[in-house]
Amino acid sequence: MSKKILICDDDEGILEMLEMALYAEEHEISTEINSLKLIGRIRDERPDLLILDLWMPVLSGDQITRTLKEMPEYKNLPILVISASRDGEDIARKAGANDYLAKPFDIDELLKKVESLN
Amino acid sequence: MRVPALRGYENYMQNHTSTDQLPGDAGHSPDLPLIKAALDASVSGIIITDNQLPDNPIIYCNESFERMTGYKRIEIIGHNCRFLQADDRQQPERLKIRRAVQEGEHVSVEIRNYKKNGDLFWNELFISPVQAADGRVTHFIGVQHDVTRRKQAEEDLYREKELREQKIKERTLQLNASKEYLDSIIQTVRESLVVLGPDLKVIGVNRHFLNTFKVTASETEDKSLYDLGNGQWNIPKLKELLENILPSNNPVLDFEVEHIFPHIGKKLMLLNAYRVELEGEYRDRILLAIEDITDRRAIEQRKDDFLSVASHELKTPLTTIKGYMQILERLLPKDADEKLLEVVGKSTKHIERLNTLIKELLDVSRIQTGNITLHRERFDFDEMVRETADTIQNVSPKHRLVISGSTGIDYEGDESQLSQVVSNLLSNAIKYSPDSANIEVNLARVSDYVKFSVTDFGVGISPDDQRKIFERFYRASDTQKNYPGMGIGLYICEQIVSHHGGNLWVDSEHGKGSTFNFTLPIKQKTNE
Repeated sequence: MSKKILICDDDEGILEMLEMALYAEEHEISTEINSLKLIGRIRDERPDLLILDLWMPVLSGDQITRTLKEMPEYKNLPILVISASRDGEDIARKAGANDYLAKPFDIDELLKKVESLN
Repeated sequence: MRVPALRGYENYMQNHTSTDQLPGDAGHSPDLPLIKAALDASVSGIIITDNQLPDNPIIYCNESFERMTGYKRIEIIGHNCRFLQADDRQQPERLKIRRAVQEGEHVSVEIRNYKKNGDLFWNELFISPVQAADGRVTHFIGVQHDVTRRKQAEEDLYREKELREQKIKERTLQLNASKEYLDSIIQTVRESLVVLGPDLKVIGVNRHFLNTFKVTASETEDKSLYDLGNGQWNIPKLKELLENILPSNNPVLDFEVEHIFPHIGKKLMLLNAYRVELEGEYRDRILLAIEDITDRRAIEQRKDDFLSVASHELKTPLTTIKGYMQILERLLPKDADEKLLEVVGKSTKHIERLNTLIKELLDVSRIQTGNITLHRERFDFDEMVRETADTIQNVSPKHRLVISGSTGIDYEGDESQLSQVVSNLLSNAIKYSPDSANIEVNLARVSDYVKFSVTDFGVGISPDDQRKIFERFYRASDTQKNYPGMGIGLYICEQIVSHHGGNLWVDSEHGKGSTFNFTLPIKQKTNE
């Protein structure tokens, strides 16, 4: 099923690569490199899934996750956190993320998770 | 002593040539033979000299004197007494004798004399003058005892005493030297040392302590540890150590105490405490060695942080590369050039290797600094092994992983770390048995331990290498060429297992294969 996916990561390379990988699966992809603008983008675009990096300048992924999970209108938005941090999974789960994937990840695994998160 | 005046020597010589006669014996007294017999029976050597004759010659000696000196009477009579001194003429006693003879006085001396055969004997000599009615000293009577034995004993005693005193002197010197030596060690050590009495009063501290904690010796010594510097050493954890832990766990090593001191700030200290148990003066004294690890800990933390950041930053582009490689694989047409497929396949493999290396680096850094933290939770041990084996099996289709047995235990431990251990051991088994398909995994509960073993039928490990493979960065000698890697995998495994209170070991025969085993205690120690 095709999904509207918003990806937020502070690394340009990751964004480009993910865009290409997910686009091939006929998902609708948009990307955001500045986490401060993310909530605005969500409001405007109403994505089905958010793929979120953890360590980002100024506003980190776990902070965003917490904020979103506390907002009634977005608390049901599935969030998949991706991170290269060793303690990433712990941090993401505690913040309320729906799923987690450690960088570097396998594209197949990513697709599986994208598929299963509703 | 007064003796009747005796007749002159000349008369005596004329009238008496036999030994039966005493000087003055002219048959006047019926007692004289008896007196003579008595004198001969005496153990004392007795002589009489005639002071009126030139050189005061001996005119009488008893038998004991003959025995004592070894000279015969004929060799004695007529000589001055000094013949007994042989060549030993420098004795101070001679002066005493000479003066007494000149003054006509009593004297008693101990003097070295020599027997006829040359043997030394100590002569305890009493000399008494005999005065005529007009007061002239006419004769001297010498009574002598051979006191060689006593003298010898005295001498021995004196020697002994001298020797003992010498020894005591040496011992004292030695003691001082060793005390000074010990003291210099204590003062030189770059670690704070405190000696406490049984009442926890400070008996002494070393210079490093004074410098580190900015105090003087007079502020410190003979004060209760807890009262030092306005009670700044009154630290609950230190109290716990000294009063509750040390009495039953002597010595205590690596006891960590963190404390904020008023002037010098927060200090992280590693303590060794040792209570003297030997009977004696030092019994129940407590030695406290304090290592200030504040800076070291901070540096370790910075290194950890750096490596965390570094590995995070390295992984980010690696994620991108890995993603593109997978996209590339998908984009390749099914009938693509074989070379091209090979290139893509190899690139993927090496990206994986790079990823492993980055992960290992961080792991080793954490383990080295002791920062390995366990997230303990209950999990199905057998299930964990199965899942891990499945993952490995999927990427190694050429080998066949067979699991037998079960532990049936919900183990409380760090699942992801133990899974890392299992994964590491399984992939080693595959890596080092390229020509043998079977890998056997066995699970068992043994007493109150869970046991995991994995057996391969590969290259095996020589006894020499078996001892070292769990060391950091160690690589078995012949593996470097064929099996690249940093050689820290087993080190990490060993550390993880021992942090769980378990044991990891290998049984192997070179050329036949290896079995890696680990056991984990089912009941965790509470202080872990």
